[in-house]
Amino acid sequence: MTVPLAKLSVAGMTKSFQDLDVLRDISVDVAKGEFISIVGPSGCGKTTFLRIIGGLEKATSGTARLDGRVIDGPGSDRGFVFQHDNLLPWRTVFSNAQIGPEIGGYVNAEQAKRTHSLLRLVGLDGFAGFFPRHLSGGMRQRVNLARALAVDPDLLLMDEPFSALDAQTREIMQTELLRIWEEGRKTALFVTHQIDEAVYLSDRVFVFGRRPGRISEIVPIDLPRPRPLSVKRRPEFVALVDRIWQLIEEDVRASVLEERG
Amino acid sequence: MTIPVTTKTPTMPFVARRTSVRAGIHAAFKAVTRRFGWSTISVLGGLVVWELISRYLVASKLFLAAPTQIAAALIELAQGGELQKHIAISALEFFSGYAIAAIAGVAIGMVMVGSAVGKQMLQPWISGIYATPTVALAPLFILWCGIGVASKIIVVVVLVIFPVIINTEAGLLTTSKDLVETVRSFGADSRQVFLKVSLPSALPFIFAGLKLGIGRGLIGVVVAELFGSRAGLGQLISQSAETFNMPALFAGVAILAAAGIAMTSGFTWLERRLLPWKD
Ligand SMILES: Nc1ncnc2c1ncn2[C@@H]1O[C@H](COP(=O)(O)OP(=O)(O)O)[C@@H](O)[C@H]1O
Ligand SMILES: [Mg+2]
Repeated sequence: MTVPLAKLSVAGMTKSFQDLDVLRDISVDVAKGEFISIVGPSGCGKTTFLRIIGGLEKATSGTARLDGRVIDGPGSDRGFVFQHDNLLPWRTVFSNAQIGPEIGGYVNAEQAKRTHSLLRLVGLDGFAGFFPRHLSGGMRQRVNLARALAVDPDLLLMDEPFSALDAQTREIMQTELLRIWEEGRKTALFVTHQIDEAVYLSDRVFVFGRRPGRISEIVPIDLPRPRPLSVKRRPEFVALVDRIWQLIEEDVRASVLEERG
Repeated sequence: MTIPVTTKTPTMPFVARRTSVRAGIHAAFKAVTRRFGWSTISVLGGLVVWELISRYLVASKLFLAAPTQIAAALIELAQGGELQKHIAISALEFFSGYAIAAIAGVAIGMVMVGSAVGKQMLQPWISGIYATPTVALAPLFILWCGIGVASKIIVVVVLVIFPVIINTEAGLLTTSKDLVETVRSFGADSRQVFLKVSLPSALPFIFAGLKLGIGRGLIGVVVAELFGSRAGLGQLISQSAETFNMPALFAGVAILAAAGIAMTSGFTWLERRLLPWKD
């Protein structure tokens, strides 16, 4: 019996594509307001895991529950932040950010005001009328984030949203994301292949192993919040990054040996 | 074997002096081109050459008309009200056919994408008819529908509809799967996916097809009228040719050219207004 009802509860989730086992028997709970990062070697099923929770993919077996309700399709209780910003090029920044409410059919003056304040929150004040092609990569990802937040989701799902950004922009976006997240403390799942990013952002890091994908370790991050960027130079931080690196390194080495035969 | 003259070095001082004169001419010419633009100069130059050739080289009025004569013919035809009548008939034929082709073309293109059976049934016809020079069927339509407006409208429809169908289909098919998935993640149903992603992303293609249709439609009108008609610019042209009235013949062609240019640039303007997100 799980005593406090978890925000997100994954039980026995398995996923295969034809004969390829991508995820096997994943069970994990996420508490309300937790920031979780997912790291693991590429191809271990991180995106697939997130897509199943987003309702964009069906699990072969097992369930994911959000607030106790079984997830069986996409819905506005979840906001997906895509790896490639996926902005609609014919829509302005504002109208891109508004698409969730628009699809849900609850657009009104008050909603529009909320979206405008979200754009302010992500630092895009004054860009509402711009088309995506006039924005930098960092700005486009801010719109991507604002769009997910506009439906006021219970769960924020982010798939390597900063992977296409240069190192400096990326660090800025990390601090920005934390600042924005502190505002509402939404439950968040964040996939990344950058371990220091995972440690910097998260309350817990799920380390995925491959073949088939599963959670091989859950690493709690007990660094105090709010976290300035300088936390990345503290010995506890470095030790955590090192520990997770070792967990993944083993897996990567194993897969390289396996590829050699 | 001749020894090639490879160098002009000894004439260096002359070259230098000449360039200063040349630079003056060059600067003057540049000022002119900047003021009027190369296109204007090219067109005006062409008209002058045309005028001179038709006045002094091709003396016979039976073969060529000078631009000034064409202008005079235009004014004369307009004063008699004849020109307006021809334009009205051709415009009626063009715009009716074009509108039918645009609406039906987009609709058929959508069916081709939306329904696998529809696609399989329509595809061979469309590929086959598109590859055929259908304008050659104009006499047949005239035989069937008479020399009135109806046969011309059919020819325009047949010529315009195919690029519209093909571009609508291509545009809808190139819709990004990622964008579809994005709106789906917000719970969009298939109607919303179509209206919010597929259609807007196909719009530039549909516009390109409609733009192609302008030239094809004009050809359709003229050719169909040449084969038999009571009025219209094509009829003006064929009748003028029979009576060796070159200025009137060219007047008809000039109106068609102007219509083509005007509609194409109007379309470009509309495109910029409706698709501001494109570059
Ligand atoms: N739609 C699909 N069809 C078949 N195989 C897929 C599909 N999606 C993902 N895979 C496979 O599943 C595995 C995990 O992919 P993914 O979840 O994208 O991993 P990650 O995000 O960790 O890099 C990969 O081997 C990938 O090729
Ligand atoms: Mg991935």
